[in-house]
Amino acid sequence: MNDRRFDGVEFTARFAPYLVLVLLVVAFAILEPRFITPFNIFNTLRQVSVVGLIAIGMTFVILTAGIDLSVGSLVALAGLAGGLVAKGGLEDRFAVGTAVDAGNPVWLAMVTAIAVGMVCGALQGGIITRLRVPPFVATLGGLSMFRGAALLLSGGGPISGFDAAYVWWGKTRLFGVVPVMVIVFLGFAALAHVVLRYTQFGRHVYAVGGNRSAAKLAGIRDERVIFLCYVIIGFCAGLAGFLLSARLNSAEAVAGQGLELDVIAAVVIGGTSLFGGIGSIARTVVGVLLIGILRNGLVLLNVSSFVQMIIIGAVLVAAVAFDQYATRRNPRA
Amino acid sequence: MMRRFLPVAAVAVLVAAGGLSATAHAAKKLTIVASVPSLGFPFFVHMMKEIRAEAAALGDIELLEMDGQNSTPKQSADVEAAITRGVDGIIISPLDSVAMAPALQEAVDAGIPVVTIDRRIDGVPGILAHVGADNVKGGEAQGKFIKDMFPNGARLVNLQGQPGSSPAIDRNKGVHNVLDGDSKYQIVAEQTAFFAREKGANVTEAILGGLDAPPDVIVAANDDMALGALQAVQEAGLAGKVKIIGFDALPEALAQVRDGGLAATIEQSPGGQSRGAMRALVSFLRDGKKPDKLTLLSPFAISKANLDKGERLSELK
Repeated sequence: MNDRRFDGVEFTARFAPYLVLVLLVVAFAILEPRFITPFNIFNTLRQVSVVGLIAIGMTFVILTAGIDLSVGSLVALAGLAGGLVAKGGLEDRFAVGTAVDAGNPVWLAMVTAIAVGMVCGALQGGIITRLRVPPFVATLGGLSMFRGAALLLSGGGPISGFDAAYVWWGKTRLFGVVPVMVIVFLGFAALAHVVLRYTQFGRHVYAVGGNRSAAKLAGIRDERVIFLCYVIIGFCAGLAGFLLSARLNSAEAVAGQGLELDVIAAVVIGGTSLFGGIGSIARTVVGVLLIGILRNGLVLLNVSSFVQMIIIGAVLVAAVAFDQYATRRNPRA
Repeated sequence: MMRRFLPVAAVAVLVAAGGLSATAHAAKKLTIVASVPSLGFPFFVHMMKEIRAEAAALGDIELLEMDGQNSTPKQSADVEAAITRGVDGIIISPLDSVAMAPALQEAVDAGIPVVTIDRRIDGVPGILAHVGADNVKGGEAQGKFIKDMFPNGARLVNLQGQPGSSPAIDRNKGVHNVLDGDSKYQIVAEQTAFFAREKGANVTEAILGGLDAPPDVIVAANDDMALGALQAVQEAGLAGKVKIIGFDALPEALAQVRDGGLAATIEQSPGGQSRGAMRALVSFLRDGKKPDKLTLLSPFAISKANLDKGERLSELK
């Protein structure tokens, strides 16, 4: 980020996601005025909150040149664990639509979901750093194991019909406008931004991802940094799992299938490099918003869902291709 | 939970009412959203096609077709987008009967009439109507067909659908309702094959390899798994010896029923449901006519004997 003479490509590479985001918002607002209503804006933000929370954790992991494929399954497992605690067991789990007295208070459910996420994250972090299993493989295993555990825990069926305090987290709009989920997502993003940018740990994450052996020589405990990143993404997946179950008023073992791909796409579209060391929380938030707004706008414009999938895939590839081009032109950028 | 089972006759009434209103409709252009769980499955493609055809037949309807892409958050987001657009009505087959409730509650709160097809929604009392088939009865139809085919008892393999999805749970329940408690009918293996053909083949192959003697019947919670099982059975050289029963009456399954590959499949008239739902919604919007809260078609088994009852038989050429 040092001062150099102006380079158009580098400038665009640095700000492209932000520019595209602004252009997209303006374009959709012109094509469909209802796009820009507060109702729709906050709906869209709420829709991306789950993916966004996990994408923040994924940014830590990807900055260390790692990956976590297990988050979709972990969301289901953590949500179920939270739901089970709230219900106080599997009885009553089909009680629907009525405010059933909770088995346990909602904070305990939330803490349980987060704890399950962190324990699973720590497990994978340990497998990656201690047993030297590549992150791709370790978390691919997690993808299958956590899904299996979730199915086992739930017996296949959903747990639903939570009490008002539980549903509050997914349903309530503060001041009648701003969903709680959105505040959690953006608040956590701000916190993660500070950690990554202004703390020693944050600098170590970049150092380990940029050049692990150099970081090691500089005295950074690389394995500890990597381990902590998987605990962080576990925290995010746990919290997201809880929020998703609150939003849907049901926790199910099949929740979050394929979520990991949405998350990775958002991080990568924001411009965080899969090879580690380059990226930021702000970029990830922009990537999350880009995908969310693209989806929402295309639905509002009644674009066929098949075409939507093609467009989102194309944006992903274009974003990375441009990044590669910019990096090759100016390897030190 | 309130459950009323209306006979098929109710559908006929609905159809007739819809027909009348269609002839007398006021020329107001309606915007209607149709949302299905996933257009990746031919079953829902057919459903969407029938909705589209009915909308065209009724006239003056702008139909917005939405694909849930097998994700509850995606389908919820689509419903929210529909509310934003201020559509006149929503026809939806919810991916999940519980998890879709909050989004549909918002639609109802926004004053948008919602009609559900095929799959019901729980805990949203403001839903205008539901038109569907009873999946438990469909499973029971499978069970009864097995009893008729093997009055002296049989050994069965049960291929279950996507764990947690309501059709999988209900169809499985139906099969068990009929066969449990009768010791002549023994389920020797019970596994999920996730509603997918490839998994149906793999799981069946594994089960056949693990059994001392081949089963008499393989009952599958959908046709894709049944067709997968058929492949595995043929490869094991057991073609014709193991009877296979599917569910959904897809064209390919009807062809296999015709040619003897499958013993039967279950018809639950998705096209009839879709058209009925569209007519009910439009007649409510144009003429203020309140439809029946609940219309359930009874699924029935289709074998070689009554193949002509297959809704999608005409797609076989």
